[in-house]
Amino acid sequence: MISQFFVLSQRGDNIVFRDYRGDVQKGTAEIFFRKVKFWKEDGQEEAPPVFNVDGVNYFHVKIVGLLFVATTRVNVSPSLVLELLQRIARVIKDYLGILNEDSIRKNFVLVYELLDEVMDFGYVQTTSTEMLKSYVFNEPIVVDATHLSPLGPAGLFMQGTKRMPGTAVTKSVVANEPGGRRREEIFVDIIEKISITFSSSGYILTSEIDGTIQMKSYLTGNPEIRLALNEDLSIGRDYRSSFGSGAVVLDDCNFHESVRLDNFDVDRTLTLVPPDGEFPVMNYRMTQEFKPPFRINALIEEAGALKAEVILKVYAEFPSSITANTIAVQMPLPKYTMRASFELEPGAVGQTTDFKQANKRLEWNLKKIVGGSEHTLRARLTFSQESHGNITKESGPVSMTFTIPMYNSSKLQVKYLQIAKKSGTYNPYRWVRYVTLSNSYVARM
Amino acid sequence: MSGHDSKYFSTTKKGEIPELKEELNSQYKDKRKDAVKKVIAAMTVGKDVSSLFTDVVNCMQTENLELKKLVYLYLINYAKSQPDLAILAVNTFVKDSQDPNPLIRALAVRTMGCIRVDKITEYLCDPLQRCLKDDDPYVRKTAAICVAKLYDINAELVEDRGFLEALKDLISDNNPMVVANAVAALAEIQENSNRPIFEITSHTLSKLLTALNECTEWGQVFILDALSKYKAPDPREAENIVERVTPRLQHANCAVVLSAVKMILQQMELITSTDVVRNLCKKMAPPLVTLLSAEPEIQYVALRNINLIVQRRPTILAHEIKVFFCKYNDPIYVKMEKLEIMIKLASDRNIDQVLLEFKEYATEVDVDFVRKAVRAIGRCAIKLERAAERCISVLLELIKIKVNYVVQEAIIVIKDIFRRYPNTYESIIATLCESLDTLDEPEAKASMIWIIGEYAERIDNADELLESFLESFPEEPAQVQLQLLTATVKLFLKKPTEGPQQMIQVVLNNATVETDNPDLRDRAYIYWRLLSTDPEAAKDVVLAEKPVISDDSNQIDPTLLDELLANIATLSSVYHKPPEAFVTRVKTATQRTEDDEYPEGSDAGYSESSSHVADGATSPSSSSAHVPSAAAKQPAPPQAASPPAAAVPDLLGDLIGLDNSAIVPVDQPATPTGPPLPILLPASTGQGLQISAQMIRRDGQVFYSLLFENNSQVALDGFMIQFNKNTFGLAAAGPLQVPLLQPGTSAGTLLPMVLFQNMSQGPPSSLLQVAVKNNQQPVWYFNDKISMHVLFTEDGRMERASFLETWRSLPDSNEVSKDFPGVVLSNVEATLEQLAASNMFFIARRKHANQDVFYFSVKIPQGIPFLIELTTVIGQPGVKCAIKTPNPDMSPLFFESVETLLKP
Repeated sequence: MISQFFVLSQRGDNIVFRDYRGDVQKGTAEIFFRKVKFWKEDGQEEAPPVFNVDGVNYFHVKIVGLLFVATTRVNVSPSLVLELLQRIARVIKDYLGILNEDSIRKNFVLVYELLDEVMDFGYVQTTSTEMLKSYVFNEPIVVDATHLSPLGPAGLFMQGTKRMPGTAVTKSVVANEPGGRRREEIFVDIIEKISITFSSSGYILTSEIDGTIQMKSYLTGNPEIRLALNEDLSIGRDYRSSFGSGAVVLDDCNFHESVRLDNFDVDRTLTLVPPDGEFPVMNYRMTQEFKPPFRINALIEEAGALKAEVILKVYAEFPSSITANTIAVQMPLPKYTMRASFELEPGAVGQTTDFKQANKRLEWNLKKIVGGSEHTLRARLTFSQESHGNITKESGPVSMTFTIPMYNSSKLQVKYLQIAKKSGTYNPYRWVRYVTLSNSYVARM
Repeated sequence: MSGHDSKYFSTTKKGEIPELKEELNSQYKDKRKDAVKKVIAAMTVGKDVSSLFTDVVNCMQTENLELKKLVYLYLINYAKSQPDLAILAVNTFVKDSQDPNPLIRALAVRTMGCIRVDKITEYLCDPLQRCLKDDDPYVRKTAAICVAKLYDINAELVEDRGFLEALKDLISDNNPMVVANAVAALAEIQENSNRPIFEITSHTLSKLLTALNECTEWGQVFILDALSKYKAPDPREAENIVERVTPRLQHANCAVVLSAVKMILQQMELITSTDVVRNLCKKMAPPLVTLLSAEPEIQYVALRNINLIVQRRPTILAHEIKVFFCKYNDPIYVKMEKLEIMIKLASDRNIDQVLLEFKEYATEVDVDFVRKAVRAIGRCAIKLERAAERCISVLLELIKIKVNYVVQEAIIVIKDIFRRYPNTYESIIATLCESLDTLDEPEAKASMIWIIGEYAERIDNADELLESFLESFPEEPAQVQLQLLTATVKLFLKKPTEGPQQMIQVVLNNATVETDNPDLRDRAYIYWRLLSTDPEAAKDVVLAEKPVISDDSNQIDPTLLDELLANIATLSSVYHKPPEAFVTRVKTATQRTEDDEYPEGSDAGYSESSSHVADGATSPSSSSAHVPSAAAKQPAPPQAASPPAAAVPDLLGDLIGLDNSAIVPVDQPATPTGPPLPILLPASTGQGLQISAQMIRRDGQVFYSLLFENNSQVALDGFMIQFNKNTFGLAAAGPLQVPLLQPGTSAGTLLPMVLFQNMSQGPPSSLLQVAVKNNQQPVWYFNDKISMHVLFTEDGRMERASFLETWRSLPDSNEVSKDFPGVVLSNVEATLEQLAASNMFFIARRKHANQDVFYFSVKIPQGIPFLIELTTVIGQPGVKCAIKTPNPDMSPLFFESVETLLKP
């Protein structure tokens, strides 16, 4: 089982170090960090999440710039360890409100207390914030969160990976609000990450939606919750219906252990008593055809000796009531590109362009794109040498990142969110929010 | 509120320790708590605060759980270095273990178990006994783990005090947390014990399957992993188990999903209904694919596992190839693994789609990834005959982009394609030759040179092309030199004109006189001798048709695959190595040899695959090695080994001066019992003296068991014995001890033998020539046969892992097989026992169709291993014996022995 757990900063400093079994030598943090830092001589390559040095197995995940690491000598389940590392991060975040180097350092005693309950002799005991509350006594010291975006219904939960989205709820689940009483509220976020590959002629080669219904509850007394999804939802590709029929067909989905599926087959409702802390109620995956939010058109053409022109067009194919934000479009250019000059549309606001000399990449950033609109960028390139003929092959693919709040491509919906509670006056805040994020959004040339 | 904990990190001024000491002894609780926090802070950043031990321990007696926990944390850290002081804490621990608060009880046992100090351990037993039966499940689950802790410190104590039984009782506990921890603890104890401690019976199985539904996700993993060792007695039960495990595939926790997959795969092996199996495959596919939506780290683990699963059950994901297409933001380690699986899933149906992807990847930025993509195209060409042409045209397209490393990689794979489809695609050679000048990597160069040599007759200017390389011959890496040598010889044999003739002179000169690389020199000498003695024969050898290759790179050996599949969802399945290869903590197993040390973890990555193709059978360097390796050793004309039969005359040269220092103390020669010895010198030949003899092995020592019968009319004495040079250098370790032999009497003796005394040259032979003389008669010569099995040593048993390792490390050319048509294997148990008695050790058995395949290992002196595979249908005549060994020339003798051993 797990011998040691530690958290390292980006510079390799030990922030937390806990030895559970004493069968692995002390200097592992240094050995690990050196190995990861110089995985390949050039330092360019990323170390795989699991590797073995001198009989010690190292597991690591990167979370908000921190390295969460576990070591062991035995043949453990690697998915258990990696999953656990993610969960430890989530538990710490639940407790501290914010997960970063500063918050961990300020709360190291609490963190150690948590780690003692999370694992015993390297065996996971629990990672449920709810359960931990009965055994953990230190109070979190909340770090200043003012520089983070304020709480609100939309557009705030953009960064992070799928399981750890910065839900922007930076409130500790255990700490009391400064005012004393906690606000009764519950957040349900439908987060979808979409991957699309367009062929050079604009056809969709592959498309996929990875979705999560994430919940974070601050309700006292742990009332039962009912969550209703689309009634015509079906699961399994055997049910694949044609595009346009409106029915949502998921390839596969899985559920948090607190979820009861007694009625799921009948009316697509989930019942659960949400534990404290942030957790995914349901993960789902869909490869059914869906309308991509953006279409990309990219063209590169020679324009005389040692010159070429790039035209990038982005079409927003979602309703005009929706606005996407923090859009970035990138396109690798031929290696021998020397300079690039850009031309935006007249009247363009909130757009920046750049040519990254080091990796020969064109970058185009747009603050927001309103649904239904279309944007174009022209770039003139200067080459240092004749091209070998096919500059299209030597450039691209174009990739795009974006966030679209209050929009989801799968059409999966939370139809209602019911909180069972005895008193009639009880009416907690419920936030049901949708957001679509790009995962791998690529157009080939 | 004490403000920020981080302030505890800032006290770095002088006199920190005395200051802390003072604070720890403060009369104010808060101050003491603060001080302990500071101590812990210092401890975590690696400062030595062990000198505060007594002061910290003094803070232990408190009702404040927060403070208590801190002190315990400190204790765990420093008790080992201060064992005498740690004793001070014992009383408090024992008291705490009876505290009314279950949290304090649990905390006490938990902490005591972590303090690995003998004196403390003694005091742990009583509290532990109580806590295992505590009313509170939190205490019981903590106690369950504590048993594992104690076992790690003192296994005997655990067994003596009956903790194992108490632990087993907890499997039936009504609290699933307790059950899960009991299972985890028992599994660990079993792992470190030779005795069966935790065996899953059908009774525990059903209990655990029930607990599975109520457990936390982590407990589910413990239980699933423990259950995966269970072998269902029949298909019905296997189906039953699978049915109860399948819902776990829907779990959001990837570890649960993978452990469930493991369990299902395991049981599937037992399920006979193809419908059920097909249905299960269908059920497993979506959750497996869903794992690829998790964090990249989990994806990596999933991909390494899927790689194994598709090798066994390719149908599971046959229609899912798209999900393995690389995303542009995948980390490189994920992309590499996806590529590998794409190759495995590539088929005639999807190859166009796959090629389109590979082509796209081949123009990406990351060099390693691009190279692997190019190689992937080549491997698909080799795998899918009908797609080969399309693959080649993609490669040619890529070559045209003229990115240097792409070109080089493409040439390397095209060489393999030529080997796979000879005389099919040579039309593209001209295009390849255009890139000749840009090649600067040895492997690419060597590949190109191989192509030129192989097709010299079709390349008009082959001689010019090769000549251009010759100038730099001495500076080239060995790989390139070897290819240049072979290619030039091929060229010469194909076009024996003046130009090539001069070239061959230059090359042979360079490769014999100017080099200090023995491989190169040996190869050059062979060519030289071949060419100078018989050019036609040289042609037959050098230009012989080569065996067709297949894409076996990264294909895992079936026995290893079996083992890895049994280890799905463990590290083993990520490294693709058996657990013994990297787990060093195993206490019970026999000491491992140092050679299976896990190399630097590099294999956990993907570097292994990139170099693999070239090293395998596909490499051109092996293409010219048709020359028997035995002949390749000596550049000088080989000494004609004198046939042993001719060597009798000087046999007694030093018989009298026999001074073999007797290494082995000669035991009182016991009269050999058992079956009569074969008669080697009949009385009719020996003027009335009859000698029967046989080589035997006893107590790890070889003896020559002899029986002398005097049927003559005179008493015989003064017996001496001498052995001629023989393959194993067997010689007497001492003088022959035969008493005066009166007429009509007989005497038996055991003559200890030594090895490697007088070795004969030449091919191995079982012939043993013996000379015996006495004072009354002439010297008697007779021939015996060395049964090789008497040489099998007692230490011949190999661990599975090292067996596999050895098997794989030996080239296929070292594998020899033979059929024993007359041998029947009926009583397997008895045979295995009998073989083990002869030091032929059973390793593993598997079923193959209606046949049984057995694996054995044997070692002969000097540690030379023989790996044996016997294939047979039980009860029917006919056994096929295949062996692999570094000394295949011994195989005829070896087969003889095995056949003897197998005959009843």
